[in-house]
Amino acid sequence: MPEPAAPGSTARRTRRAIGSGPGILLVLAYGTLALAATGRSVLQILEYFERAPLAYLLSALAAVVYIAATWALVTDRRRLAQVTITVEAVGVLAVGALSYLVPDLFPDKTVWSHFGSGYGFLPLVLPFVGLWWLARNRWERTGPEAR
Amino acid sequence: MLVPLTTIVVIASVVLAVVAGVYALRARLIDDLLLLVAALVEVLLLVLAVVAAVQAPSVRTPGEGATMAAYALTLPLVPPALAFLAIKEKTRWAMAVLLAGALVVAVMAYRVQQIWVVHA
Repeated sequence: MPEPAAPGSTARRTRRAIGSGPGILLVLAYGTLALAATGRSVLQILEYFERAPLAYLLSALAAVVYIAATWALVTDRRRLAQVTITVEAVGVLAVGALSYLVPDLFPDKTVWSHFGSGYGFLPLVLPFVGLWWLARNRWERTGPEAR
Repeated sequence: MLVPLTTIVVIASVVLAVVAGVYALRARLIDDLLLLVAALVEVLLLVLAVVAAVQAPSVRTPGEGATMAAYALTLPLVPPALAFLAIKEKTRWAMAVLLAGALVVAVMAYRVQQIWVVHA
């Protein structure tokens, strides 16, 4: 039913679900990266794992993190979203820096190497948008330390 | 066959994005017409998945054939996921996610075409 669209009206009464409203775009972004990272790491591990084992294992880790973050956003699990998005932020920064400092470790691209340049730097921007969104929504908490 | 097919998919998904955009501007939620357009895109993507999987072995560069097949086989998952999100969300953001998701489909289909043209 087309509700009289009033942005924020739901937030006043109860906390809005983290995956709804504008948050639904985060669900899409994380879902897309989950698909991309999963597809890429399955291929890498099956087709040419010997070429760059470390890079490919990190690809697989990124895939797991994106899947978990997407799941957390869809099902409104704040704690899990917080943890997975933080891991993602650390991961993209660490792997991004490492790929510039020790390029020999990354003969092939992964989602996080070079700060996600292969994906329009979306992997670099996304975790910070995600953390901002979670922090912004915390203000609307009603009970103390709900999940 | 893959070039015309992927072109049709790109056009169809851009149409879906435009319709979703119009719905967003008019503050309408998902309805039968919009679902029908999404279903049409889905049918095209299923055809593309089959054709691309069959053609993948004739891609000469190692790895690229598998990448193309992976894209094409993943694509049909997107419209149902979008429909699920758009039905669940009862605000204008439902149309925003559909619009953005349709563009993701267009980009992925274009990638399939690109791999085919460059490496086959």
